[in-house]
Amino acid sequence: MGRAFLEIEDLSKDFGGLRAVNSARLTVNRHEMVGLIGPNGAGKTTLLRLITGILKPDEGFIRFKGKEIVGLKTWDIVNLGIAGTFQNMRPFRRLPIIANVMVSCLCPRAMKRGEWVKKIEAKAMDALEFAGISDMALEKAATLSQGDLKRLEVARAIATEPELLLLDEPFGGLSPAETELMAKSIQRLHQGGRFGRLHSEGPAMIIVEHKLQQLMKIVDRIIVLDFGTIIADGSPQEIVNLPEVIQAYLGQGGV
Amino acid sequence: MGLLRYYLRRFLIIVKSEVLVLPSRMVVCVFFLGLLLLPAVTQDPYLLRILILTNIFAILAASWDLLSGFTGQMNFGHALFFGVGAYTAAILNLHAHLPPWGSIPLGALAAVLAGLIIGIPCLRLKGTYLALTTLAFPIILLGIVFTIPGITGGELGVSGLARLSGSRLSDYYITVVLMLGACTLMWKITDSHTGIIFHAIREDELAVRASGINTTRYKLLAFCLSGFFAGFSGGLYAHFMRIAGPSTLEVSMSFTVVIWAVFGGIVTIYGPVGAVFILFPLLEFLRFWPEYRTLMFAVVILLILLYMPDGLFPWLRDKVETECPRCKIRNRATRKTCRVCAVPLD
Ligand SMILES: Nc1ncnc2c1ncn2[C@@H]1O[C@H](COP(=O)(O)OP(=O)(O)OP(=O)(O)O)[C@@H](O)[C@H]1O
Ligand SMILES: [Mg+2]
Repeated sequence: MGRAFLEIEDLSKDFGGLRAVNSARLTVNRHEMVGLIGPNGAGKTTLLRLITGILKPDEGFIRFKGKEIVGLKTWDIVNLGIAGTFQNMRPFRRLPIIANVMVSCLCPRAMKRGEWVKKIEAKAMDALEFAGISDMALEKAATLSQGDLKRLEVARAIATEPELLLLDEPFGGLSPAETELMAKSIQRLHQGGRFGRLHSEGPAMIIVEHKLQQLMKIVDRIIVLDFGTIIADGSPQEIVNLPEVIQAYLGQGGV
Repeated sequence: MGLLRYYLRRFLIIVKSEVLVLPSRMVVCVFFLGLLLLPAVTQDPYLLRILILTNIFAILAASWDLLSGFTGQMNFGHALFFGVGAYTAAILNLHAHLPPWGSIPLGALAAVLAGLIIGIPCLRLKGTYLALTTLAFPIILLGIVFTIPGITGGELGVSGLARLSGSRLSDYYITVVLMLGACTLMWKITDSHTGIIFHAIREDELAVRASGINTTRYKLLAFCLSGFFAGFSGGLYAHFMRIAGPSTLEVSMSFTVVIWAVFGGIVTIYGPVGAVFILFPLLEFLRFWPEYRTLMFAVVILLILLYMPDGLFPWLRDKVETECPRCKIRNRATRKTCRVCAVPLD
């Protein structure tokens, strides 16, 4: 049996009686780009937070490259190669944008992998360059627009040079043109390569998104979550025609 | 000779291009030089005594800023580090006959240990809970001090310590140099990569964790560093006063440190240092009107905080310097264009 890259088994999380994630079971392969969709409150963010260790599951296993990661500290999980973004962006508001990214560049994983990079600042700059906000590097994060904060989130996550990237609504609050750009960046990142001093492993990705149209174009596979339960898992074409998916979404007012 | 001229020229160029361009840098240089040259003007023992204590408390106030200002771990029991440093130095000096240059660093190390001991339970606490917990630690230690009077001297404290040095003047120079050194070091720490992580922890600890940084380690580091400098100032205090008494652990001591730092402006290091240089001599000076002393002191502080919520020194700095909107370099407020990128300032 070939060991999957990320394996989740029977994962559950309760919030005082409310079952936010219910016996979730899924796998992601090394070079996959997976979309995670579902109506509001379906438990998508909770699932991502369980993977990054911000939340502790009540039951279940998460294995990353064959290693059990439930119970590890968030920073240890990041240093194993899993990075995520926050849906409701959490920048360090009173710090310049470049310093926001430098914090990620200072994590042990990034430091070890970039030993030849003398200047952390330069590497942080390349992450900003990739995300398209390098011109604002010295502005305080508090002055950024919603769209730029999204990019900052992405820049911070990729600065740790992850092998698995979890993006929580990367298109949220972006204009159609910005969405287009972000989708391009994500695809470029997924292909891997070198962006200045920043190295992209070509991470596997899980992308949570409500903008299905754009999501369909970039992902290989879609997982549908409803009331914490995975109700479908398949290629984008299969998913859109499944009655239970349509049902879940129509219950919420349609796609 | 030619070499000397060359270095003198280099030095003058550096002074002109790095120091004279910014009022704040000029003030810092004048402050350093003024302290070092003061004894050439006056050696009044009373004045020197006040300034020696000011130097010692400046280290203490800056060390509070390093922990509470930068990482946001509000410590309302900073007297703990000061007291541990003072008592350890005193006991080592009196019972083990260690000279001050041995007992003071060991006192500082004991305060580092205290930093670890209070840091660990404080890791999970935030806000009011953290403030109340830290407030309790020096009180607990005070209780311990009173239960073992054989070692600590109880109410009277440990007295009869070796003097810091032979004379008042050398005491002065020792504390000035140590104060300038310690504060520069603290400022360097906050200006380093570690300093950025401290800043970020204050802003959003969860996001720092999600960036792969072991926040536990950095928070404990902040407690230890802060404890080291505070304990160091405690040891200096004990040897200068030749006594380590319960007053070093009192609640009022902890609060005074917070008042100094907030008055001068937190998250700056230089703010608390400057504040001690204003407030400590002021309090001494107000001794001439004992009835109104506390009241006048309180009025000064309230007025400052009412009009300058970020503290006195950041306010002053903003008056004399402006930040370039494009390159974020600071400029003299009188300039019309940025000194680096030539963008118009207004
Ligand atoms: N920290 C928490 N405490 C209590 N309940 C929570 C917490 N976080 C989430 N929930 C609840 O768990 C459920 C799932 O929330 P989650 O944020 O995972 O949904 P989501 O799929 O990300 O929704 P959205 O599309 O709106 O982002 C919701 O009902 C939410 O109210
Ligand atoms: Mg969500």
